[in-house]
Amino acid sequence: MKITALLVLKAAPETTDPVILSNASDVSHFGYFQRSSVKEFVVFVGRTVASRTPPSQRQSVQHEEYKVHAYNRNGLCAVGFMDDHYPVRSAFSLLNQVIDEYQKSFGETWRSAKEDSSQPWPYLADALTKFQDPAEADKLLKIQRELDETKIILHKTIDSVLARGEKLDSLVEKSSDLSMASQMFYKQAKKTNSCCTIL
Amino acid sequence: MQAKSSYRDRTDEFFGIVETLRRSIAPAAAANINVAYGGGRREDPRSAAVMQSEFNRRASVIGLAIHQTSQKLSKLAQLAKRSSVFDDPTREIGELTAVIKQEISGLNTALLDLQAVRNSHNDERNISRDTTTHSATVVDDLKNRLMDTTKEFKDVLTLRTENMKIHENRRQRFTNNPSKESTNPFVRQRPLASKPAPSQPAPLPWANGSSSSSSQLVPRRQGEAESSPLLQQSQQQQMVPLQDTYMESRAEALHNVESTIHELSNIFTQLATMVSQQGEIAIRIDQNMEDTLANVEGAQSQLARYLNSISSNRWLMIKIFFVLIAFLMVFLFFVA
Repeated sequence: MKITALLVLKAAPETTDPVILSNASDVSHFGYFQRSSVKEFVVFVGRTVASRTPPSQRQSVQHEEYKVHAYNRNGLCAVGFMDDHYPVRSAFSLLNQVIDEYQKSFGETWRSAKEDSSQPWPYLADALTKFQDPAEADKLLKIQRELDETKIILHKTIDSVLARGEKLDSLVEKSSDLSMASQMFYKQAKKTNSCCTIL
Repeated sequence: MQAKSSYRDRTDEFFGIVETLRRSIAPAAAANINVAYGGGRREDPRSAAVMQSEFNRRASVIGLAIHQTSQKLSKLAQLAKRSSVFDDPTREIGELTAVIKQEISGLNTALLDLQAVRNSHNDERNISRDTTTHSATVVDDLKNRLMDTTKEFKDVLTLRTENMKIHENRRQRFTNNPSKESTNPFVRQRPLASKPAPSQPAPLPWANGSSSSSSQLVPRRQGEAESSPLLQQSQQQQMVPLQDTYMESRAEALHNVESTIHELSNIFTQLATMVSQQGEIAIRIDQNMEDTLANVEGAQSQLARYLNSISSNRWLMIKIFFVLIAFLMVFLFFVA
Protein backbone atom coordinates (compact mmCIF):
# COMPACT_ATOMS: atom_id res chain seq x y z
CA MET A 1 0.00 0.00 0.00
CA LYS A 2 1.79 3.09 -1.06
CA ILE A 3 1.31 6.67 -1.98
CA THR A 4 3.05 7.71 -5.16
CA ALA A 5 2.42 11.43 -5.11
CA LEU A 6 0.65 14.21 -3.27
CA LEU A 7 -0.27 17.45 -4.95
CA VAL A 8 -1.84 20.64 -3.75
CA LEU A 9 -3.43 22.70 -6.46
CA LYS A 10 -5.44 25.82 -6.71
CA ALA A 11 -8.52 24.76 -8.57
CA ALA A 12 -9.34 27.72 -10.71
CA PRO A 13 -12.77 28.13 -12.28
CA GLU A 14 -13.59 25.65 -14.96
CA THR A 15 -12.03 27.45 -17.87
CA THR A 16 -8.44 27.70 -16.75
CA ASP A 17 -6.05 25.01 -15.70
CA PRO A 18 -5.42 24.46 -12.02
CA VAL A 19 -2.24 25.93 -10.65
CA ILE A 20 0.09 23.62 -8.82
CA LEU A 21 0.98 24.98 -5.40
CA SER A 22 2.98 22.10 -4.05
CA ASN A 23 4.09 18.74 -5.28
CA ALA A 24 5.67 15.77 -3.57
CA SER A 25 6.21 12.49 -5.33
CA ASP A 26 7.94 9.27 -4.52
CA VAL A 27 9.26 7.76 -7.71
CA SER A 28 11.99 5.71 -6.14
CA HIS A 29 10.49 2.45 -7.28
CA PHE A 30 10.56 3.38 -10.92
CA GLY A 31 13.59 3.02 -13.07
CA TYR A 32 15.85 6.03 -13.35
CA PHE A 33 14.80 6.88 -16.85
CA GLN A 34 11.12 6.68 -16.15
CA ARG A 35 11.17 9.05 -13.25
CA SER A 36 10.77 12.30 -15.11
CA SER A 37 7.99 10.93 -17.28
CA VAL A 38 6.21 9.63 -14.22
CA LYS A 39 6.48 13.06 -12.65
CA GLU A 40 5.01 14.64 -15.78
CA PHE A 41 2.24 12.12 -15.77
CA VAL A 42 1.52 12.90 -12.15
CA VAL A 43 1.39 16.62 -12.87
CA PHE A 44 -0.87 16.25 -15.87
CA VAL A 45 -3.32 13.82 -14.36
CA GLY A 46 -3.40 15.86 -11.18
CA ARG A 47 -4.31 18.96 -13.11
CA THR A 48 -7.01 17.16 -15.05
CA VAL A 49 -8.61 15.58 -12.03
CA ALA A 50 -8.46 18.79 -10.05
CA SER A 51 -10.08 20.76 -12.81
CA ARG A 52 -12.90 18.24 -12.99
CA THR A 53 -13.60 18.14 -9.27
CA PRO A 54 -16.29 20.60 -8.32
CA PRO A 55 -15.73 22.52 -5.10
CA SER A 56 -16.59 20.97 -1.74
CA GLN A 57 -16.52 17.52 -3.18
CA ARG A 58 -14.42 14.43 -3.17
CA GLN A 59 -13.67 12.24 -6.09
CA SER A 60 -11.82 9.02 -6.80
CA VAL A 61 -10.72 8.13 -10.29
CA GLN A 62 -9.13 4.91 -11.39
CA HIS A 63 -6.29 5.63 -13.77
CA GLU A 64 -4.30 2.64 -15.05
CA GLU A 65 -2.99 1.08 -11.91
CA TYR A 66 -3.39 4.09 -9.67
CA LYS A 67 -6.31 5.44 -7.82
CA VAL A 68 -6.35 9.20 -7.88
CA HIS A 69 -8.23 10.76 -5.01
CA ALA A 70 -9.09 14.41 -5.14
CA TYR A 71 -10.65 16.67 -2.57
CA ASN A 72 -11.61 20.16 -3.48
CA ARG A 73 -12.42 22.61 -0.75
CA ASN A 74 -13.37 26.12 -1.81
CA GLY A 75 -10.83 26.24 -4.56
CA LEU A 76 -7.94 24.59 -2.76
CA CYS A 77 -7.62 21.11 -4.09
CA ALA A 78 -5.51 18.23 -2.82
CA VAL A 79 -4.83 15.28 -5.06
CA GLY A 80 -3.26 12.01 -4.05
CA PHE A 81 -2.03 9.14 -6.21
CA MET A 82 -2.38 5.87 -4.41
CA ASP A 83 -2.44 2.26 -5.40
CA ASP A 84 -5.54 0.13 -5.21
CA HIS A 85 -4.91 -1.26 -1.78
CA TYR A 86 -4.78 2.02 0.03
CA PRO A 87 -8.09 2.44 1.80
CA VAL A 88 -10.12 5.25 0.34
CA ARG A 89 -11.13 6.67 3.67
CA SER A 90 -7.58 7.05 4.87
CA ALA A 91 -6.74 8.70 1.58
CA PHE A 92 -9.41 11.33 2.04
CA SER A 93 -8.57 11.96 5.65
CA LEU A 94 -4.96 12.42 4.58
CA LEU A 95 -6.04 14.94 1.94
CA ASN A 96 -8.07 16.74 4.59
CA GLN A 97 -5.04 17.01 6.82
CA VAL A 98 -2.87 18.23 3.99
CA ILE A 99 -5.32 20.97 3.13
CA ASP A 100 -5.67 22.04 6.75
CA GLU A 101 -1.93 22.17 7.16
CA TYR A 102 -1.52 24.13 3.97
CA GLN A 103 -4.09 26.66 5.00
CA LYS A 104 -2.47 26.95 8.40
CA SER A 105 0.98 27.54 7.04
CA PHE A 106 0.25 29.58 3.96
CA GLY A 107 -2.97 31.29 4.84
CA GLU A 108 -4.68 32.79 1.86
CA THR A 109 -1.63 33.60 -0.20
CA TRP A 110 -2.31 30.72 -2.52
CA ARG A 111 -5.34 32.40 -3.96
CA SER A 112 -3.17 34.85 -5.83
CA ALA A 113 -0.92 32.20 -7.34
CA LYS A 114 -0.98 32.34 -11.09
CA GLU A 115 1.67 29.85 -12.10
CA ASP A 116 3.09 26.61 -10.78
CA SER A 117 5.20 27.21 -7.76
CA SER A 118 8.32 25.15 -7.67
CA GLN A 119 9.39 25.63 -4.08
CA PRO A 120 9.05 22.43 -2.14
CA TRP A 121 6.99 22.27 0.95
CA PRO A 122 8.73 20.00 3.45
CA TYR A 123 5.53 19.07 5.20
CA LEU A 124 4.24 17.43 2.06
CA ALA A 125 7.37 15.35 1.60
CA ASP A 126 7.23 14.29 5.26
CA ALA A 127 3.57 13.48 4.91
CA LEU A 128 4.31 11.35 1.88
CA THR A 129 6.76 9.19 3.79
CA LYS A 130 4.85 9.17 7.03
CA PHE A 131 1.54 8.21 5.56
CA GLN A 132 2.69 5.29 3.47
CA ASP A 133 1.08 3.33 6.23
CA PRO A 134 -2.63 4.16 6.02
CA ALA A 135 -3.12 3.71 9.72
CA GLU A 136 -1.12 6.86 10.36
CA ALA A 137 -3.40 9.01 8.28
CA ASP A 138 -6.66 7.59 9.42
CA LYS A 139 -7.14 7.75 13.15
CA LEU A 140 -10.07 5.41 12.87
CA LEU A 141 -7.85 2.72 11.41
CA LYS A 142 -5.32 3.24 14.13
CA ILE A 143 -7.94 3.03 16.83
CA GLN A 144 -9.41 -0.07 15.28
CA ARG A 145 -6.02 -1.70 15.10
CA GLU A 146 -5.21 -0.91 18.70
CA LEU A 147 -8.60 -2.14 19.82
CA ASP A 148 -8.02 -5.40 18.01
CA GLU A 149 -4.67 -5.85 19.70
CA THR A 150 -6.25 -5.11 23.04
CA LYS A 151 -8.93 -7.64 22.35
CA ILE A 152 -6.36 -10.30 21.58
CA ILE A 153 -4.49 -9.51 24.77
CA LEU A 154 -7.73 -9.70 26.72
CA HIS A 155 -8.54 -13.06 25.22
CA LYS A 156 -5.17 -14.33 26.36
CA THR A 157 -5.80 -12.86 29.79
CA ILE A 158 -9.10 -14.65 30.06
CA ASP A 159 -7.48 -17.91 29.09
CA SER A 160 -4.87 -17.52 31.78
CA VAL A 161 -7.53 -16.58 34.30
CA LEU A 162 -9.39 -19.77 33.43
CA ALA A 163 -6.22 -21.78 34.01
CA ARG A 164 -5.80 -20.00 37.33
CA GLY A 165 -9.33 -20.96 38.21
CA GLU A 166 -8.60 -24.60 37.54
CA LYS A 167 -5.49 -24.48 39.71
CA LEU A 168 -7.44 -22.84 42.47
CA ASP A 169 -10.03 -25.56 42.26
CA SER A 170 -7.43 -28.26 42.66
CA LEU A 171 -5.93 -26.31 45.55
CA VAL A 172 -9.28 -26.18 47.25
CA GLU A 173 -9.67 -29.90 46.92
CA LYS A 174 -6.28 -30.55 48.35
CA SER A 175 -6.75 -28.14 51.23
CA SER A 176 -10.09 -29.67 52.18
CA ASP A 177 -8.50 -33.11 52.11
CA LEU A 178 -5.74 -31.78 54.31
CA SER A 179 -8.19 -30.38 56.82
CA MET A 180 -10.09 -33.69 56.94
CA ALA A 181 -6.91 -35.58 57.50
CA SER A 182 -5.75 -33.25 60.22
CA GLN A 183 -9.11 -33.54 61.91
CA MET A 184 -8.83 -37.34 61.95
CA PHE A 185 -5.36 -37.00 63.30
CA TYR A 186 -6.59 -34.80 66.13
CA LYS A 187 -9.41 -37.15 67.03
CA GLN A 188 -7.08 -40.06 67.03
CA ALA A 189 -4.65 -38.28 69.24
CA LYS A 190 -7.40 -37.29 71.61
CA LYS A 191 -8.66 -40.85 71.69
CA THR A 192 -5.33 -42.31 72.59
CA ASN A 193 -4.88 -39.63 75.20
CA SER A 194 -8.21 -40.25 76.88
CA CYS A 195 -7.87 -43.96 77.47
CA CYS A 196 -4.42 -43.96 79.05
CA THR A 197 -5.80 -44.27 82.48
CA ILE A 198 -6.38 -47.99 82.02
CA LEU A 199 -2.72 -48.57 81.98
CA MET B 1 -28.65 9.08 -26.79
CA GLN B 2 -27.34 6.84 -29.44
CA ALA B 3 -30.74 6.49 -30.98
CA LYS B 4 -30.91 10.22 -31.38
CA SER B 5 -27.69 10.39 -33.35
CA SER B 6 -28.90 7.63 -35.64
CA TYR B 7 -32.11 9.57 -36.15
CA ARG B 8 -30.22 12.62 -37.16
CA ASP B 9 -28.09 10.77 -39.64
CA ARG B 10 -31.05 9.09 -41.11
CA THR B 11 -32.83 12.39 -41.54
CA ASP B 12 -30.17 13.86 -43.76
CA GLU B 13 -29.98 10.79 -45.91
CA PHE B 14 -33.69 10.64 -46.26
CA PHE B 15 -33.91 14.24 -47.26
CA GLY B 16 -31.42 13.62 -50.06
CA ILE B 17 -33.09 10.43 -51.19
CA VAL B 18 -36.52 12.01 -51.04
CA GLU B 19 -35.38 14.90 -53.21
CA THR B 20 -33.81 12.70 -55.85
CA LEU B 21 -36.59 10.22 -55.99
CA ARG B 22 -39.30 12.79 -55.93
CA ARG B 23 -37.87 14.28 -59.05
CA SER B 24 -37.57 11.03 -60.88
CA ILE B 25 -40.13 8.53 -59.59
CA ALA B 26 -43.94 8.38 -59.29
CA PRO B 27 -45.58 9.75 -56.14
CA ALA B 28 -46.52 6.29 -54.89
CA ALA B 29 -42.85 5.27 -54.76
CA ALA B 30 -41.93 8.65 -53.31
CA ALA B 31 -44.40 8.07 -50.54
CA ASN B 32 -42.59 4.81 -49.84
CA ILE B 33 -39.37 6.66 -49.14
CA ASN B 34 -40.97 8.95 -46.62
CA VAL B 35 -40.15 6.65 -43.79
CA ALA B 36 -41.60 7.69 -40.52
CA TYR B 37 -38.66 7.55 -38.09
CA GLY B 38 -38.81 9.76 -35.02
CA GLY B 39 -37.86 13.32 -35.68
CA GLY B 40 -36.96 12.76 -39.32
CA ARG B 41 -40.32 12.60 -40.92
CA ARG B 42 -41.40 14.83 -43.76
CA GLU B 43 -44.90 15.40 -44.95
CA ASP B 44 -45.49 14.77 -48.61
CA PRO B 45 -48.39 17.02 -49.61
CA ARG B 46 -47.89 16.44 -53.30
CA SER B 47 -48.51 12.71 -52.98
CA ALA B 48 -51.88 11.52 -54.13
CA ALA B 49 -51.78 8.81 -51.51
CA VAL B 50 -53.23 10.86 -48.70
CA MET B 51 -54.03 7.76 -46.75
CA GLN B 52 -50.43 6.66 -47.06
CA SER B 53 -49.21 9.98 -45.71
CA GLU B 54 -51.73 9.72 -42.93
CA PHE B 55 -50.26 6.34 -42.10
CA ASN B 56 -46.82 7.87 -42.21
CA ARG B 57 -47.88 10.68 -39.94
CA ARG B 58 -49.29 8.38 -37.36
CA ALA B 59 -46.25 6.13 -37.56
CA SER B 60 -44.01 9.13 -37.07
CA VAL B 61 -46.02 10.25 -34.06
CA ILE B 62 -45.71 6.81 -32.56
CA GLY B 63 -42.01 6.71 -33.22
CA LEU B 64 -41.55 10.07 -31.55
CA ALA B 65 -43.55 8.95 -28.56
CA ILE B 66 -41.45 5.78 -28.30
CA HIS B 67 -38.32 7.87 -28.39
CA GLN B 68 -39.59 10.12 -25.63
CA THR B 69 -40.58 7.12 -23.56
CA SER B 70 -37.16 5.61 -23.93
CA GLN B 71 -35.63 8.89 -22.78
CA LYS B 72 -37.81 8.90 -19.69
CA LEU B 73 -36.87 5.30 -19.15
CA SER B 74 -33.20 6.15 -19.23
CA LYS B 75 -33.83 8.81 -16.61
CA LEU B 76 -35.66 6.26 -14.51
CA ALA B 77 -32.78 3.83 -14.92
CA GLN B 78 -30.36 6.44 -13.61
CA LEU B 79 -32.62 7.17 -10.68
CA ALA B 80 -32.88 3.48 -9.90
CA LYS B 81 -29.13 3.05 -10.05
CA ARG B 82 -28.61 5.45 -7.19
CA SER B 83 -27.47 3.44 -4.31
CA SER B 84 -27.63 6.00 -1.59
CA VAL B 85 -29.39 4.83 1.51
CA PHE B 86 -30.94 8.19 2.13
CA ASP B 87 -32.32 10.75 -0.22
CA ASP B 88 -34.20 8.04 -2.08
CA PRO B 89 -36.23 9.50 -4.90
CA THR B 90 -38.90 6.92 -4.23
CA ARG B 91 -41.69 9.29 -4.97
CA GLU B 92 -40.14 10.50 -8.20
CA ILE B 93 -39.35 6.96 -9.24
CA GLY B 94 -42.96 5.97 -8.56
CA GLU B 95 -44.29 8.88 -10.55
CA LEU B 96 -41.93 8.25 -13.42
CA THR B 97 -42.81 4.56 -13.40
CA ALA B 98 -46.51 5.34 -13.59
CA VAL B 99 -45.97 7.84 -16.39
CA ILE B 100 -43.87 5.42 -18.37
CA LYS B 101 -46.42 2.65 -17.90
CA GLN B 102 -49.18 4.89 -19.17
CA GLU B 103 -47.16 5.92 -22.16
CA ILE B 104 -46.25 2.36 -23.00
CA SER B 105 -49.87 1.22 -22.86
CA GLY B 106 -50.94 4.24 -24.93
CA LEU B 107 -48.27 3.44 -27.45
CA ASN B 108 -49.46 -0.14 -27.57
CA THR B 109 -53.02 0.90 -28.44
CA ALA B 110 -51.80 3.47 -30.95
CA LEU B 111 -49.66 0.87 -32.64
CA LEU B 112 -52.61 -1.52 -32.82
CA ASP B 113 -54.68 1.28 -34.36
CA LEU B 114 -51.94 1.91 -36.85
CA GLN B 115 -51.91 -1.73 -37.80
CA ALA B 116 -55.67 -1.75 -38.22
CA VAL B 117 -55.47 1.37 -40.37
CA ARG B 118 -52.83 -0.25 -42.50
CA ASN B 119 -54.90 -3.37 -42.94
CA SER B 120 -57.93 -1.29 -43.90
CA HIS B 121 -55.75 0.60 -46.38
CA ASN B 122 -54.59 -2.63 -47.89
CA ASP B 123 -58.13 -3.83 -48.25
CA GLU B 124 -59.56 -0.60 -49.65
CA ARG B 125 -57.11 0.57 -52.26
CA ASN B 126 -55.04 -0.92 -54.92
CA ILE B 127 -51.52 -0.13 -53.85
CA SER B 128 -48.17 -1.39 -54.97
CA ARG B 129 -46.28 -4.21 -53.35
CA ASP B 130 -43.61 -1.80 -52.22
CA THR B 131 -46.07 0.21 -50.21
CA THR B 132 -47.41 -2.88 -48.51
CA THR B 133 -44.00 -4.17 -47.59
CA HIS B 134 -42.94 -0.69 -46.53
CA SER B 135 -45.86 -0.18 -44.20
CA ALA B 136 -45.46 -3.70 -42.84
CA THR B 137 -41.79 -3.00 -42.18
CA VAL B 138 -42.59 0.29 -40.46
CA VAL B 139 -45.17 -1.29 -38.22
CA ASP B 140 -42.83 -4.14 -37.35
CA ASP B 141 -40.04 -1.76 -36.58
CA LEU B 142 -42.22 0.30 -34.27
CA LYS B 143 -43.42 -2.83 -32.55
CA ASN B 144 -39.84 -3.99 -32.03
CA ARG B 145 -38.86 -0.69 -30.57
CA LEU B 146 -41.78 -0.70 -28.23
CA MET B 147 -40.83 -4.21 -27.13
CA ASP B 148 -37.28 -3.11 -26.45
CA THR B 149 -38.52 -0.21 -24.43
CA THR B 150 -40.80 -2.47 -22.41
CA LYS B 151 -37.93 -4.87 -21.77
CA GLU B 152 -35.73 -2.04 -20.60
CA PHE B 153 -38.51 -0.88 -18.36
CA LYS B 154 -38.70 -4.32 -16.81
CA ASP B 155 -34.93 -4.41 -16.31
CA VAL B 156 -35.01 -1.07 -14.62
CA LEU B 157 -37.77 -2.21 -12.30
CA THR B 158 -35.84 -5.33 -11.31
CA LEU B 159 -32.74 -3.24 -10.71
CA ARG B 160 -34.80 -0.94 -8.58
CA THR B 161 -36.12 -3.81 -6.44
CA GLU B 162 -32.61 -5.15 -5.98
CA ASN B 163 -31.39 -1.78 -4.85
CA MET B 164 -34.28 -1.48 -2.43
CA LYS B 165 -33.33 -4.85 -0.98
CA ILE B 166 -29.74 -3.77 -0.58
CA HIS B 167 -30.86 -0.58 1.12
CA GLU B 168 -33.08 -2.50 3.49
CA ASN B 169 -30.22 -4.82 4.37
CA ARG B 170 -27.91 -1.95 5.00
CA ARG B 171 -30.49 -0.13 7.06
CA GLN B 172 -31.04 -3.17 9.22
CA ARG B 173 -27.34 -3.62 9.63
CA PHE B 174 -26.98 -0.13 10.95
CA THR B 175 -29.95 -0.14 13.27
CA ASN B 176 -28.98 -3.46 14.87
CA ASN B 177 -25.63 -3.75 16.57
CA PRO B 178 -23.44 -4.41 13.59
CA SER B 179 -20.88 -7.20 13.58
CA LYS B 180 -17.44 -6.42 12.35
CA GLU B 181 -17.55 -6.05 8.59
CA SER B 182 -14.53 -3.97 7.96
CA THR B 183 -13.85 -5.39 4.54
CA ASN B 184 -17.19 -4.44 3.16
CA PRO B 185 -16.73 -0.72 2.69
CA PHE B 186 -13.52 -1.33 0.81
CA VAL B 187 -15.04 -3.97 -1.41
CA ARG B 188 -18.02 -1.79 -2.15
CA GLN B 189 -15.99 1.29 -2.76
CA ARG B 190 -13.97 0.08 -5.70
CA PRO B 191 -16.74 -0.51 -8.24
CA LEU B 192 -18.42 2.72 -7.28
CA ALA B 193 -15.26 4.74 -7.11
CA SER B 194 -14.45 4.03 -10.72
CA LYS B 195 -17.06 6.45 -12.00
CA PRO B 196 -15.17 9.60 -12.75
CA ALA B 197 -18.18 11.85 -13.22
CA PRO B 198 -18.59 14.91 -11.02
CA SER B 199 -20.73 14.25 -8.02
CA GLN B 200 -22.95 15.80 -5.42
CA PRO B 201 -22.60 14.97 -1.72
CA ALA B 202 -25.78 13.75 -0.14
CA PRO B 203 -26.75 15.00 3.33
CA LEU B 204 -26.19 12.27 5.87
CA PRO B 205 -27.42 13.37 9.26
CA TRP B 206 -26.28 10.28 11.10
CA ALA B 207 -22.71 10.59 9.93
CA ASN B 208 -22.64 14.21 10.90
CA GLY B 209 -22.18 14.16 14.61
CA SER B 210 -20.17 11.00 14.83
CA SER B 211 -17.36 11.85 12.48
CA SER B 212 -14.12 12.87 14.07
CA SER B 213 -13.51 15.61 11.52
CA SER B 214 -16.78 17.33 12.15
CA SER B 215 -15.30 20.71 11.30
CA GLN B 216 -14.84 19.59 7.73
CA LEU B 217 -18.36 18.28 7.52
CA VAL B 218 -19.85 21.63 8.43
CA PRO B 219 -18.47 23.60 5.48
CA ARG B 220 -19.25 20.66 3.24
CA ARG B 221 -22.87 20.60 4.30
CA GLN B 222 -23.11 24.33 3.73
CA GLY B 223 -21.56 23.83 0.31
CA GLU B 224 -24.10 21.20 -0.52
CA ALA B 225 -27.00 23.32 0.59
CA GLU B 226 -25.87 26.11 -1.68
CA SER B 227 -25.01 24.09 -4.73
CA SER B 228 -27.74 21.46 -4.55
CA PRO B 229 -30.49 23.60 -6.06
CA LEU B 230 -28.13 24.52 -8.86
CA LEU B 231 -27.00 21.08 -9.99
CA GLN B 232 -29.32 19.01 -12.11
CA GLN B 233 -30.57 15.65 -11.04
CA SER B 234 -28.67 13.72 -13.68
CA GLN B 235 -25.36 14.93 -12.33
CA GLN B 236 -26.22 13.99 -8.81
CA GLN B 237 -26.59 10.30 -9.25
CA GLN B 238 -23.04 9.29 -9.85
CA MET B 239 -21.45 11.56 -7.28
CA VAL B 240 -23.87 10.58 -4.57
CA PRO B 241 -22.69 6.96 -4.46
CA LEU B 242 -19.10 8.07 -4.06
CA GLN B 243 -19.77 10.64 -1.38
CA ASP B 244 -22.13 8.24 0.28
CA THR B 245 -19.54 5.54 0.11
CA TYR B 246 -17.01 7.76 1.85
CA MET B 247 -19.41 8.83 4.55
CA GLU B 248 -20.80 5.35 4.88
CA SER B 249 -17.36 3.91 5.23
CA ARG B 250 -16.55 6.42 7.94
CA ALA B 251 -19.79 5.69 9.70
CA GLU B 252 -19.29 1.98 9.38
CA ALA B 253 -15.78 2.23 10.75
CA LEU B 254 -17.12 4.15 13.72
CA HIS B 255 -19.79 1.53 14.25
CA ASN B 256 -17.11 -1.12 14.15
CA VAL B 257 -15.08 0.75 16.70
CA GLU B 258 -18.13 1.12 18.90
CA SER B 259 -19.00 -2.56 18.70
CA THR B 260 -15.41 -3.51 19.39
CA ILE B 261 -15.47 -1.37 22.49
CA HIS B 262 -18.71 -3.05 23.53
CA GLU B 263 -17.11 -6.43 23.14
CA LEU B 264 -14.14 -5.28 25.11
CA SER B 265 -16.40 -4.13 27.91
CA ASN B 266 -18.10 -7.53 27.88
CA ILE B 267 -14.77 -9.23 28.10
CA PHE B 268 -13.74 -7.04 31.01
CA THR B 269 -16.98 -7.76 32.85
CA GLN B 270 -16.51 -11.48 32.39
CA LEU B 271 -12.96 -11.15 33.57
CA ALA B 272 -14.10 -9.34 36.70
CA THR B 273 -16.75 -11.98 37.40
CA MET B 274 -14.29 -14.79 37.01
CA VAL B 275 -11.73 -13.13 39.21
CA SER B 276 -14.27 -12.46 41.96
CA GLN B 277 -15.43 -16.08 41.86
CA GLN B 278 -11.88 -17.23 42.11
CA GLY B 279 -11.40 -14.85 45.00
CA GLU B 280 -14.11 -16.72 46.87
CA ILE B 281 -12.38 -19.97 46.12
CA ALA B 282 -9.16 -18.55 47.44
CA ILE B 283 -10.88 -17.53 50.67
CA ARG B 284 -12.20 -21.05 51.07
CA ILE B 285 -8.77 -22.44 50.57
CA ASP B 286 -7.50 -20.07 53.19
CA GLN B 287 -10.12 -21.24 55.66
CA ASN B 288 -9.35 -24.83 54.95
CA MET B 289 -5.72 -24.25 55.66
CA GLU B 290 -6.50 -22.50 58.90
CA ASP B 291 -8.70 -25.38 59.97
CA THR B 292 -5.95 -27.77 59.14
CA LEU B 293 -3.49 -25.72 61.11
CA ALA B 294 -5.79 -25.68 64.14
CA ASN B 295 -6.38 -29.41 63.89
CA VAL B 296 -2.76 -30.20 63.62
CA GLU B 297 -1.90 -27.94 66.52
CA GLY B 298 -4.57 -29.57 68.66
CA ALA B 299 -3.40 -32.99 67.71
CA GLN B 300 0.14 -31.98 68.50
CA SER B 301 -0.84 -30.76 71.96
CA GLN B 302 -2.75 -33.96 72.59
CA LEU B 303 0.21 -35.97 71.64
CA ALA B 304 2.44 -33.84 73.79
CA ARG B 305 0.14 -34.40 76.71
CA TYR B 306 0.06 -38.04 75.94
CA LEU B 307 3.78 -38.09 75.89
CA ASN B 308 3.89 -36.25 79.14
CA SER B 309 1.36 -38.54 80.64
CA ILE B 310 3.19 -41.54 79.36
CA SER B 311 6.45 -40.29 80.76
CA SER B 312 4.89 -39.14 84.02
CA ASN B 313 2.57 -42.07 84.26
CA ARG B 314 5.31 -44.51 85.17
CA TRP B 315 5.09 -43.37 88.69
CA LEU B 316 1.44 -44.22 88.64
CA MET B 317 2.23 -47.52 87.03
CA ILE B 318 4.81 -48.31 89.73
CA LYS B 319 2.26 -47.36 92.31
CA ILE B 320 -0.32 -49.57 90.71
CA PHE B 321 2.17 -52.38 90.42
CA PHE B 322 2.97 -51.95 94.07
CA VAL B 323 -0.71 -52.09 94.87
CA LEU B 324 -1.02 -55.23 92.77
CA ILE B 325 1.94 -56.82 94.44
CA ALA B 326 0.40 -55.92 97.73
CA PHE B 327 -2.77 -57.67 96.76
CA LEU B 328 -0.80 -60.65 95.56
CA MET B 329 1.01 -60.74 98.90
CA VAL B 330 -2.29 -60.65 100.70
CA PHE B 331 -3.58 -63.42 98.49
CA LEU B 332 -0.46 -65.43 99.06
CA PHE B 333 -0.78 -64.87 102.77
CA PHE B 334 -4.35 -66.06 102.70
CA VAL B 335 -3.51 -69.14 100.68
CA ALA B 336 -0.30 -69.96 102.46
